[in-house]
Amino acid sequence: MALAIEAEQLVKRYTGRGGDVEAVRGVDLRVEEGEVFGFLGPNGAGKSTTVRMLTTLMTITSGSARVAGVDVTADPDTARQRIGVALQEAGLDVRQTGRELVMLQARLFDMSREQAAARAEELLELVDLVESADRRIKGYSGGMKRRLDLASALVHEPDVLFLDEPTTGLDPASRLTVWDELQRINERGTTIFLTTQYLEEADQLCDRLAIIDGGVLVGEGTPAELKAGLRQRHGLTYEPTLDEVFLAATGRTRERVAGEVQEVQA
Amino acid sequence: MTKVLVLTQRSVREALRTPEALLPTLFIPLFFLVVNVGQAARIFPSGSTPFLAGQNYAAFQLPSSLLLAASFGSAALYLVEDIEGGYFDKLRAAPVPRTAIIFGRLGAEALKTTAIASTMVLIALPFGITIASGFLGFALLILLTASWAVVFSGFMQLIALKTRSAAATNSAGLIFFPLLFLTPSFVPRPLLTKPMEIAATYNPVTYIMEAMRSIVLQDLDWPVIARGYGVVAILGVVMVSLSVRSIRRYD
Repeated sequence: MALAIEAEQLVKRYTGRGGDVEAVRGVDLRVEEGEVFGFLGPNGAGKSTTVRMLTTLMTITSGSARVAGVDVTADPDTARQRIGVALQEAGLDVRQTGRELVMLQARLFDMSREQAAARAEELLELVDLVESADRRIKGYSGGMKRRLDLASALVHEPDVLFLDEPTTGLDPASRLTVWDELQRINERGTTIFLTTQYLEEADQLCDRLAIIDGGVLVGEGTPAELKAGLRQRHGLTYEPTLDEVFLAATGRTRERVAGEVQEVQA
Repeated sequence: MTKVLVLTQRSVREALRTPEALLPTLFIPLFFLVVNVGQAARIFPSGSTPFLAGQNYAAFQLPSSLLLAASFGSAALYLVEDIEGGYFDKLRAAPVPRTAIIFGRLGAEALKTTAIASTMVLIALPFGITIASGFLGFALLILLTASWAVVFSGFMQLIALKTRSAAATNSAGLIFFPLLFLTPSFVPRPLLTKPMEIAATYNPVTYIMEAMRSIVLQDLDWPVIARGYGVVAILGVVMVSLSVRSIRRYD
């Protein structure tokens, strides 16, 4: 199967106030078309930095990345035509209405006013926001904002959808709605690359996972493979949970990760 | 070009939906006009003050107020909001030329300033101010004011992109006060004290103000007007180029 995302030895180094920081240190990724790929890691592990490099928002210090077959450094504009992006904390212009925002996004992807209006209607229906489409986003709940952000990331029917912590801060009902929508979007053929701190979410949604810690990958596989690997390595007599896999991979203890990784039940 | 227009429309909508930010850009300059005229008009009676060219002191002060109205740089503050709220990244992740993001906001700033400056002049007309150079002069006056708004917003956007901070961008806006007051804002340049005259001569805003003043007080004085437009053009190219460079390097 063709690869939707292919990264080789991705490195991001920058100079911060405290000196040089190497946020990502040689990450290799291979995500197949049509997959839902989960990217896990504690805060500051390099998840968002990796996503920002893959989505052309951040320069790559060294290494290479191809998304939907396009080199993101050599041809960022073509890459942007093929990806959809919904970053941490829904990036929305709250002074606009939901419909205006989606239409604006469609216009930025070269649709005519009529095409943009039709696409907005279709997407607002998909994320169940038709009734509030003409209200200012300022009055939307967190869940509505996330769904609208998703809709705006889908205007151009991207090949690959990047979601950075799409359900952080949502209540369980809103989280479930977002999960349903992601599954529907994936069924239409869109590859999804999502970062999350919620291990239950990764377990439910993702075909394969990678775990990053300290800027390097410390585990990769399907949820079942990762659990089976841990069971074998440690001779466990029970089926380990994904959070146990995570703890083993990152060398953390439950006390140490308190506040960094959360398990949620939607 | 379509993307610039789409982003300009969005910025205009944003400004109209924030009247609490828009209205002060009209009322504060009018307030300064009233106060400055109230304090100094009796010192400069129109009949015996040659530099007023037969008009009242309010006509002399009008360009200062127009420049103040064009120097709020609110486009940059909205840009910081976009950066802090994440919408700026949404735009950057779309296939939008970086220049369109800059020009979209500057276009809206020019339109907004055109509306505000026109309103200010229309409000001033019943108080005895006339635009001596006629309708063409009025159009040149408004265009020059709007062009200065683009220059100043370009500068503020540059600060916004560099600092990504609302506080820093706001503070940078205060540079307008030395720029505005180290000019012949109350009397013509030859009547300033020597140090002030030197400062005003080196201040580019002086030439814009003098061009505006000549439009209000005299018939079209093309060399003076051309100098004002020339200064705006040079500063505009510098500020917009730096903003575009900064957004292209934004990481």
